[in-house]
Parts: sequence; C-alpha cells; structure tokens
Amino acid sequence: METPFPFGFPLPTGFYLTLYVATWVIHAAFMNYVLAGSAYLGAAIVIQGKSVETNPLASLLRDWLPFMLSAAITAGIAPLLFVQILYEDSFYTANQLLFHRWMAILPTLMLGFYLLYLLKAKFIAKRSLKLRIAIGISAFLCFAFVAWSWTENHLLSLQPQSVWVEQYASGVFRYRDSQLISRLSLWFASSFPTMATVLAWQLMTQKPTDLEKGQPGTRRTAALAMCGLVASGAAAGIYLNSLDSSVSKSLFSALGFPYLMLASLGLVIQLLCWISIYARSKLDKISLAIASTGLCCTLTGFSVSREVIRISTIDWQNRLSAHESAFRVGGFALFLTSAVVCGGLIFYVIRLVRKNLTESSASHG
Amino acid sequence: MDVPYYPTHEFGPLMKGLIIGGIGIVHVFLAQFAIGGGLLMCYFQWLAGSRGSQLARQFVDGYFKVLVLISFVVGAVTGVGLWLTSIQISPRTIGIMVDEFHWVWATEWTFFCLEIVAGYSFYRYSRILNDRNRLFLLATYSAAAWFSLFWINGILSWQLTPGEWVAERNVWAGFFNPSFLPSLIFRTVTSMVIAALVACIVINLIPDLSRSQREKLIAKAGHFTAPMVLMPLLGIWYMASIPADSRQWIMGGSVAMTMFFALGIGCSLLIGGYALFSLLRGGLYINVATATLLCLLGFLATAGGEFVREGVRKPYTIRTVLYSNSVTPDELAYLRRVGSVTNDPYPLLSSDEIPTDQLQLGAKVFRFQCSVCHTVQGANGLTHLTGTWTPMQLRLNVAQLQRTKPFMPPFAGTPEELEALAQWIEWHNSGSMDDWSAADSGASLTQIASWLDEVGTRPGIDLMNEPRVSGGAQ
Repeated sequence: METPFPFGFPLPTGFYLTLYVATWVIHAAFMNYVLAGSAYLGAAIVIQGKSVETNPLASLLRDWLPFMLSAAITAGIAPLLFVQILYEDSFYTANQLLFHRWMAILPTLMLGFYLLYLLKAKFIAKRSLKLRIAIGISAFLCFAFVAWSWTENHLLSLQPQSVWVEQYASGVFRYRDSQLISRLSLWFASSFPTMATVLAWQLMTQKPTDLEKGQPGTRRTAALAMCGLVASGAAAGIYLNSLDSSVSKSLFSALGFPYLMLASLGLVIQLLCWISIYARSKLDKISLAIASTGLCCTLTGFSVSREVIRISTIDWQNRLSAHESAFRVGGFALFLTSAVVCGGLIFYVIRLVRKNLTESSASHG
Repeated sequence: MDVPYYPTHEFGPLMKGLIIGGIGIVHVFLAQFAIGGGLLMCYFQWLAGSRGSQLARQFVDGYFKVLVLISFVVGAVTGVGLWLTSIQISPRTIGIMVDEFHWVWATEWTFFCLEIVAGYSFYRYSRILNDRNRLFLLATYSAAAWFSLFWINGILSWQLTPGEWVAERNVWAGFFNPSFLPSLIFRTVTSMVIAALVACIVINLIPDLSRSQREKLIAKAGHFTAPMVLMPLLGIWYMASIPADSRQWIMGGSVAMTMFFALGIGCSLLIGGYALFSLLRGGLYINVATATLLCLLGFLATAGGEFVREGVRKPYTIRTVLYSNSVTPDELAYLRRVGSVTNDPYPLLSSDEIPTDQLQLGAKVFRFQCSVCHTVQGANGLTHLTGTWTPMQLRLNVAQLQRTKPFMPPFAGTPEELEALAQWIEWHNSGSMDDWSAADSGASLTQIASWLDEVGTRPGIDLMNEPRVSGGAQ
C-alpha cells in the first residue's frame, strides 16, 4: 500500500482502524502504568525492604495502582469492541484455540486487583516483610501472565488457518511463537517510560519538602524512564529483525514508515527530556509536557505499526464487506454525543476534585 | 454460502450454557447492586445534606467501600468475562450483536468511563468534599451506572424480541423493542432491592454503631424495597411482551424453565413479603444473618430470572436470525444439501478413541450442531435423553427435532450426517465399544431423507401454531 495509514483503506475499514488505534492508545497508557508499576513496586519491596515506605514512587504506585487497573480494564472495552468488527474471525478463533488458558486471565485479573488493594491496606503494612514481598511479586506475576496471554493470543490470531487447525489438533492450550519473547519484551520495556511520565505528573502535584532539591524521586523516575527507553529501542530492533521480509516491507513502506518514524522521534524526544530532568534533578511542567508529547508519538507510532504488521500478515480483505455493513449501522451520532457529554462530565468531576483538593491543602497550611 | 467454523471446545460434564449462565448471573447481580447502590447512596447522601444526618454520611462511606471492592473488581472483570465467554461459546451470536449494536455498546462505554471516574473520585476524595459536591458525585455515578443498564438492556432484550428490526434492520427499532421497557423498569426495581439488602448487611458490619442507630439506618434502607410491590405488574407486562411460544415454555412447556421461573418468583415473594410486612410496616430489625439470607434469596431470584431470560429465546439466540447452535435459517437449508461439517476444517480431538469413520462424522456433527446445549454424558447429556429410545425412534426424533421439542432448532445436515449422529449416540448408549460396525443401509437413509423433507426447515415454534392435520403425516 502506497498511502500512509489509514488513508489507503476503504472508508469503513479506515474509520474503524482509526477508532481502534485511538482507543487502544488510551488503553495501552493505563495498561503500561499497571504492568511497569506492579513490576517496580514488587522489586522495590524486595530490594528496599521496610524502607520502601520512604520511597515516594512506591507510595504513589501503591496508592494509585488499583484505580489505574480499573481504568485499564474500562479503557480496554472500546478496543475490544472495535477489534471484533475489524478482525472478527481471527480474534474469535485465537480466543477459542487458547480456551481455558486464555480465560484464566479473568480470575488472574481479579486476584491481581485484590492483591493491589491488599498492598494498600494498613493492616498489611504492619505484617511481616515476607508477606508483603509475596503479595507484591504475586501482583506483578498476575499482570505479567495477562500480558503474556494477550501477546500469545494476538500472535496466534495472526496465523493462517493451517496453523489454527494444527494448534487445535494438538489439543494444547499454549501457543509458542518465536516472536513471543521479543514482542513481550518490547511491550514490557516500553511500559516503563509511560509509567515514569504519569508518575512524574503525579509527583508534580505533591508539595516538595525542600524547594531547592525539588521533588523527591525525580532522578529515580528519570532513570526508570531512560532505562525503559533504551531497552525498548533495543527490543524494537530485535523484534523488527525477527519479522518476515514481507511484513518488514509493509512496515517500511508508505503505509507504516511515517509511524515508525513517529515512534522513533517520540523515543528520542522522551530520552532527551529525561536526560535533562535527570541532570537537573528537577521536574518542570515544560519538560514533562514535551516528554508527554514524545510519549504520545511513541504510543501512537507503536500502535499503528502493530496494526500494519497485522494487516500485512492476515487476509483482512475478506472482512471488507463486514466493515461496510457495520459502517451503515446507525448510532454513531449517539456515540459522539455521549462521548462529548460524558467526557465533559469527567472533566468537570476531575476539576471539582482538584479544586477541593487545592482548597483542602491550603486550609491545612 | 460461506458458513464460518470455529475451533470449539467442550467444558467436560458442564453444559456450555451453564458456564455463561453462571458468569452472567454473578455479573448481573453485581451490576444491579452497583446501579441500585448508587441510587441508595444518593438517597442517604441527600439525608446527610438536607437533614444533617452524620449517621447517613457514615453509612455512605462504608457502603461505597464495599461497592468499590466488590462491584468495581468482580463486577467489572466478570463483565469482560461475559464477553470472552460468549466468544468461547457462541462467537456468531456475539459477532452479530457487536456488528449491529457497536455504537450502542460504545455509548455504554462512555457512561462506564464516567461511572468509574465519578465513583473513584468519591471513593478517594469524599472526605474533603462538602455535602453538595458529595451528592453531585454520587448522582453522576448513579446516573452513569443506570444508563449503562439502559443501553445494555436494549441489546439484551433485542435478542428475544427484535420487534420491527427484523423487517427494517434499523438499530433503534431493535433497541426500543417490545420487551425493552418492562425489562428496564423491572431491572431498576430489582437493583434497588438488591442495594437495600446489601445495605442491611453493611449496616450490621459498620463498627461503632449502636443498636438504635442501626435500626434507623435499616429502616431508611428498607424504603428501597417498597417498589417491589410493582414487581407482579411488571412481571405480567414483561410476560405479555415476549412471544407466545416463549411464554409457553415458562408456563409449563419446559419443566426446567418453569422450575427456574418458580424459583425466581418464590424467592422474590419471600423477600417481598419480608420487606413489606416486616421491614416497612413492622419496622423490624434485620441482623447480619437474616440480611445475608435475604441477599442469597435475591441472588437466587436473579439466577432464576436470568436462566429464564436466556432459556426462553430457544430455539434461537437471536430470534428469527440465529439458532442456538449458531446456524441461520438460510444456512440451514444449504447445510441440509451440502452437509453441516463437510467444510469444517477442524479435526476431532479424540478421533483415535472413535473406531469408525461414520462415528467420527457423527462426533463432528454433534460438536457443530448439538454441543452448545448438550454434553454426551454430563449436564443435559444425550445418553440420558436418548438412552431408552429405539434406533428408529432416535433417527425420527433427530430428523424432526423441531417436532420432538419445539425449542430445538431443526436438524441442519444431510441424511448421512444424521445417520452418523444417530450411530454415534447409539455407540455411546451402548458403552462406547472398541468395535462398531457401520450401519449405512440405503433404506434407513431414504427413510431419514423422507422425514427431513416432510418436516422441512421451519422452526418448531412455527409448526406449533399450525392446525394439525387429522391422522398426521403418513
């Protein structure tokens, strides 16, 4: 395809692809926070022991992870909806092939959810360190399992029917693919810069105890982001190298190359910002805004590249008529209206809470 | 004609319907708790604000924690779970629902996002908010939660009563279908009652409350059970809105359906009786054990109601559009000619345990046409249902399935496939022996073909309404 994504597709297909990517990016932001956050929190409890209480990043994560998980699940509903319209057959088939191994993500998510709440509970803070370590690591393992399952499911959905038949006949509910590790590594590594950016904004809302030194945890946040960026760059290189030549060709064609560039540009912008923040040991709104823009570029570039890989792997042409039928179904105006109304109310609720928080902290000196 | 095939799996002795029903019942109960809980907390917050009741405020904070810990976790995950389970069990059903109603679903999603943001904002920051802002957040939360019900109710009720949508294919004709309104109001009342019952448990568990304080709170929560008086009328309205054949299954046509219906009514009557005569009129105190028992009855009533709602759709999952075994009426006639599994690319998982090709064909036919509602020897097992039938009776009953049981879809395959399925059932009924000789006599195939032709491809619910010809078909 000689046109950048999504312009070369028929209107219905391009429209749903755009919606899918847009909602996927929102989901990925929350998902990254949970994955990297639970990994960091688990590691911090193991490494720092009881002194983890003084780690500002760990405190923030412990406080916010349950909400972020809830947001990740909620945000995940929209892309789950659009993926069914776009790739119904392959998505359903992969789901069915992995059967209860796939369905195991549901109790695992619930377990992870409650473990995060446990980590937050005051009575757990008074218990033995071993118990807290076990809870912290288990929570991360739950989300790692979900990430692995989604990656496995996605890779299986990209296969031709002959592989599906072979997989079904084997009676095995696991799918081994040579790209599994590199792809999972890429997602895992790239989740850290997202977490770091959100954490940095959260740190900014807290009052520094020492104005000269700035926010505690700044250098650590910057270090996490930089490590994540370097690792995700390396993982992306390995992953790209593992792709079939036909897929690489699409990725480097007019269809995908602008987005590959966008992702790379975002990586560079983020890296420069975090280096600057690390060197100054201070968070400031301008640097963070630039880093956030870089993050948006990277997430969008990654997400479109992910679709380009899928499109160049599976036979999506047989879904064109289904996209067209779905496109003719009424209700889009209702969705737009409700998105504006609910979006406005969400904005108002956040503003209301922020205003009350500011007033409350001002009244408490 | 392009009939899609999926690599389905079986859940051992559990019927697939039990899996999705189980998850569905838990999700519906928790979702209704979240909706009613929002309304209940608005009421208590209003009491706190307008009458300065510190007690009401304390209750709201305690109740919301329970709501977040249960509904926001298990409720949210089972919601996604329901979707994934539907994909496992009937991908075509969920596929059609998504294709037709994705904008309604996307709309529901925007309300769901609002619900989560308002809910968590209240959960985290209610202590720093004044009564007015607390009420605003709770009202936003509960309005968003109720609208989630509003949107999803239209899609679910469409499955049973698609109404004018069948002819017009207009999304709003399907959404505002005949059972939409009675179902919506019924579910709203149910949500309020569940919220009140959970409130009685929470009130008993809040520490540092005196007996009289608990009594006051329980009396206020009891007000939310009052709309139960409307339930009989709403039930009658709902029954009147569903198709006559579906109503017939409930009223004795299908014993399982009738029993679950009776379970729902019985539990609702017990809760309603207790609520109206003891809680509302008598001002009786409810301790934690009684409140838990009432809640359990509420769960059983939900289970009964949901089972009936799922069951009365038979023989369809989407009325007139898709049979419960995921075959469309158009495809059925086609599959009678070319065979239901001729183009199924997925092999049998246990083919080496099945001695002949004919039996293997029968097993594939079972997997494609029957396994969504039946197991072999477990729940709703074929060996239990057909164990006493003679071979000819078995062939006739399967060939004219829609006459055997009008809530069954018509058989969707060739005479050879039917013979193979009959042999496969017989083989199981005879103890799954290692050797089994293929029985493929031309005479029986001719007989099966004539039975299939005679009954045609129309569903049993259509045949039920036809006048019977004296003497029947010869």
